[in-house]
This record gives sequence, C-alpha cells and structure tokens, in this order.
Amino acid sequence: MVFRYRLEILAIVAVLTFCALFLYTSSMMGNAEFAGSDTVGSAKIAELAGVPVDEIQPLIPQWVPPSGEVESALFALQAAIGGIMVGLVFGYWIGQKKGTKST
Amino acid sequence: MHIMEGFLPLQWAVFWWLIALPCLVYGVYRLKKVMDADREALPLLGVTGGFIFILSSLKLPSVTGSCSHPTGTGLSAICFGPWITSVVCAIVLLFQALFLAHGGLSVLGANVVSMGIVGPLAGYAVYRALRETRVNMFLTVFLACALADMFTYITTSLELALAYPAEVEGVGSSFVLFMGIFAITQVPLAIVEGVVLALVFKYIVQLKPDILLRMNVFPEEKINAARDDT
Repeated sequence: MVFRYRLEILAIVAVLTFCALFLYTSSMMGNAEFAGSDTVGSAKIAELAGVPVDEIQPLIPQWVPPSGEVESALFALQAAIGGIMVGLVFGYWIGQKKGTKST
Repeated sequence: MHIMEGFLPLQWAVFWWLIALPCLVYGVYRLKKVMDADREALPLLGVTGGFIFILSSLKLPSVTGSCSHPTGTGLSAICFGPWITSVVCAIVLLFQALFLAHGGLSVLGANVVSMGIVGPLAGYAVYRALRETRVNMFLTVFLACALADMFTYITTSLELALAYPAEVEGVGSSFVLFMGIFAITQVPLAIVEGVVLALVFKYIVQLKPDILLRMNVFPEEKINAARDDT
C-alpha cells in the first residue's frame, strides 16, 4: 500500500523540505525581506543602467494595482481561475469513468 | 521571471516581440489543428493550462531570501508541445501585465519568449529525449517540468544581460549577475514544481489514460504499466 502512494509521499516530503528550508533560512537571515526576485532584478538593472528605479518610465502606460492588497486579490483571482479549470476537468473525467463503469 | 515594464530598451522589446509573434501565430494554428482532431483534448488543455494559471500566481519564498514564481509550463509542453504552451503563457502574461503590473505590454514579447517558448522548448526536448528510453515516465515528467522552469529564468537572465551588459566585462558578467538573482532563487522552486506536476500527471494517467494514448504522449507500454502499478 505504501508503495502505491510513493509519488504522493515524495511530493509531501519535497514540500515539507521546502518549508523547513524556508523556516531555517528566514530564522538565520534576520534581515531577509523575501522581496520578489523581479524587484531585486529591477534594482540591479537600475544599478547597471545608472538610473534610480523610480526614474525608469514604462514605455507603454500601465495600470498599477493601487496597493498590495488589491494585487494579492488579483493574484488570488488568477489562481482561482486555474483551480476552477482543473477541478472542472478532473470532475468531468471522474464522472465519465463512473458512467462507463455502470453501463 | 517578469521583466518589468520599461526595463527593456525599446529596440530589445521590439526584438523579443519579433521572435515571440511568429511562435504565437504558429501556436494558435497548432491549437486549432489539435482541437479539430480530437475534442477530448480540450479538457486536457484545461488541466495543463489551469496549472500554469495556478502555479504562476504563487509567489513562493526561496532559500535566498527572495520570492519567485514557479511557471507550471512543463506539463503542457509534454502533452501539447511548446508552441501551444506559448499561447497559454501569453494569455497568463497578458493578464498579469494588464491587471497586476507584473511585466508589461512592451516587455510581453520578452516574457513570452522566456516563459512560453524557451522554457517549454527545454522541457519538451528533455521529454522527447527520454520518451522512448527505459527512464521512468514520472521521472521524465519531473525532469521536463523542473528544467522548463529553470530555463525560463535562465532566459530572463540572458535577456537582461543582453540589454544591460556590464561596462567592463560585458554581457557574460551581467549574465552571471542576473543568474545569481533569478536562477539560484529558482532551483528549490523548480524541484518542488517538478514533483508536484509529476503527481498531477499520475492522476491524469489514472483518470484519462485514453486521451494520452490517442495523443501519443507516451508509448502505450509505459502508460499501461503505470496504470497497473497504481
């Protein structure tokens, strides 16, 4: 039985290891901000280009979420769209499988 | 992996758009062909595309003290090939550019090239190389997904290095610099992503093996062996 679920166990171990590593590093690096690598990268670009980040202007005007709250809401919306699609299809397949069994 | 709006000079933004556009056009053509051939492929696209939506919305903290997104493109690249995957990625990236200010319209081309074209191509190459060999099917999925993720970030680093070569040592030195920011953060995320997507693939094999067989994703023996096994 354990053998049958080896991939599941592996996935849980991988996720738990990932969490443990995160907890360890965040406790070791008291000043780590866990900023997005996009943000860190942008700062590096500004350094290389020799202009402050704030002065880099968008080439095409862009709507920016007014706050981190709005941004996280929209990210959650994106994940929800994906989750609905995945759930819908898996449900559809499970239903199909049951339908073929009973007939 | 997003290059922010305005962070690529105009000529580079145009250059990456010119590479991305033909790939997207071909992707739409391939998509139509696959859908016309088999309507049952649409739910599979829903699952693989759904995971791109979910995984690319998660900003996960990594061991380097910064956060980054997984991409989730490997599964789609395996089932549908890299070109259709780039179309799905373009939709996700457009959503993020318009509503989240992650990436932008001028840099969309560059972001599509890294997440939608080079990443999936790398994953697809690994999958094609291992498909007929004796390597375990789920290990193949794991490697393809993890490498698709890694190559996305390597490409982003390269795109930035080309646009911003270091004054003294040139492109190579800035490439190493950007790799340090993007790619190293990504290693643990790529591993977790690979394992999770391999697990998802197991469920697809269990629930709907016939569509994988019809689309010839893996040889019949491998899929049947995995079905008996689980």
